[in-house]
Amino acid sequence: MDIFYQTGRYFALLLKVFSRPERHRVYALQTFNEIDNLGVKSVGIVAIISVFMGGIMTLQVAYNMTNPLLPNTLIGLGNRDSLILEFSSTIMGLIMAGKIGSNITSEIGSMKVTEQIDSLEIMGVNSASYLILPKIIAVVMIFPLLYILSVFFGIVGGLIVGPAVGAVTVTDYLNGIQYAFTPYYVTFSLIKCLVFGFLIASVSAFFGYTVEGGAFDVGTASTRAVVNTNILILVWDLILTQLLL
Amino acid sequence: MIEIKNIYKSFEHSDVLKDISKVFNKGETNLIIGRSGSGKTVLLKSIVGLLEVDGGQIFYDNRDFTKMDHRGRKKLRQEMGMVFQGGALFDSLTVEENIRFPLDMFSELSAVEKQKQVDYCLDRVNLVDANKLYPSEISGGMQKRVAIARAIVMNPKYLFCDEPNSGLDPETAMVIDELVHSITVDLKITTIINTHDMNSVMEIGDNILFISEGEMCWEGNRKDILLTDNQKLQEFVFANKQYQRIRDDKIEGK
Repeated sequence: MDIFYQTGRYFALLLKVFSRPERHRVYALQTFNEIDNLGVKSVGIVAIISVFMGGIMTLQVAYNMTNPLLPNTLIGLGNRDSLILEFSSTIMGLIMAGKIGSNITSEIGSMKVTEQIDSLEIMGVNSASYLILPKIIAVVMIFPLLYILSVFFGIVGGLIVGPAVGAVTVTDYLNGIQYAFTPYYVTFSLIKCLVFGFLIASVSAFFGYTVEGGAFDVGTASTRAVVNTNILILVWDLILTQLLL
Repeated sequence: MIEIKNIYKSFEHSDVLKDISKVFNKGETNLIIGRSGSGKTVLLKSIVGLLEVDGGQIFYDNRDFTKMDHRGRKKLRQEMGMVFQGGALFDSLTVEENIRFPLDMFSELSAVEKQKQVDYCLDRVNLVDANKLYPSEISGGMQKRVAIARAIVMNPKYLFCDEPNSGLDPETAMVIDELVHSITVDLKITTIINTHDMNSVMEIGDNILFISEGEMCWEGNRKDILLTDNQKLQEFVFANKQYQRIRDDKIEGK
């Protein structure tokens, strides 16, 4: 029964979040701060993970394609489509749930247990909207951009690793990443990114906003937020793949 | 003036507040005193609406807070200032930004006027030089003073302080007490302070409510408190032997 209770509380919180802001200028400023804090500061980790992901994927495809009848261009194609369809959206979503999600939960949770949220309420500020809405907007806006960066760095990773270990030539790889490109795959993944971005920000914020107790409880809430967001990302990945592909 | 009538509050079958009524006067420092766990903080949080009461009424200058809708409460809250036990300052903002925050959210003042008001509040709490520091860079006593400055920046009609002296040395505690008292008198606001600090009670207790185990046990002022016959209040006050000696001197003096 707890799952229904928590789901109800989550939607009740969302109703509070999506209400009219007190001062649009303050919210806009807060949104820009969140884009910098949650988005721009994630570019580094996205680039590093994507380069390795692309490199490893290129090697995996190469080692599974020892049949001489299969052209080597498929190595680049395999890497590209894996990144576009799944790795740069879903896997990056799972990683961002850990990085951005735990950040959001611990920040809001700490504010809750130190009465900063009560302090906002006493001033007459809609604390849920002020704290959570800019984060949701920021993550939903920035996640598709991180996805595009991830695809780019993943392809670059394959281009570095594949020829470096002799798994594929530069020409074959470059031909492969241009072969049979389906633009809809990108559209599909961008839609997934919007959904994942919303889930990461809103679910993590929910666990932070509803925390009770002290530092230990904030830590527990962060863990629960990451686990639940990961599960929801995988469930929605399945639903969207079935619906949109 | 704030009036509470027959306030009840319980948590999971445990009655925390039982039939509490009291009038808190304007221009006076009204104190809610009692042991730890007596229900002081629950009462204060119920008065400001952070907790919903199970029964009773709360009037702010004859406006029934318990019957107000969300919008009405939100408007009334702009007339309130509150100092929390831990200060509750926003970690990511400087001292000055913390104080300016309510003005940025609700005030129509120009940037220059806002700065003037912030400077006045900083001066009032004697923290002009700390304006660019972050809460983590200042002492506990300074954090409390910043919290007071933030609470009065919107010129509130009602000021609430939850254990403003907790964790402070006696000298700093006295500075905070005097600051809150002078603000209350100068700005003619209704101030309610939660405390179990007897020094505060004897210094600034114009109007005192003593609660024990969620029940209203005694009310009066700092002059009456030492001569009380109330058994529970005597146990609370005379836990500090110094006040027992003052009481004995007073009785002998009579």
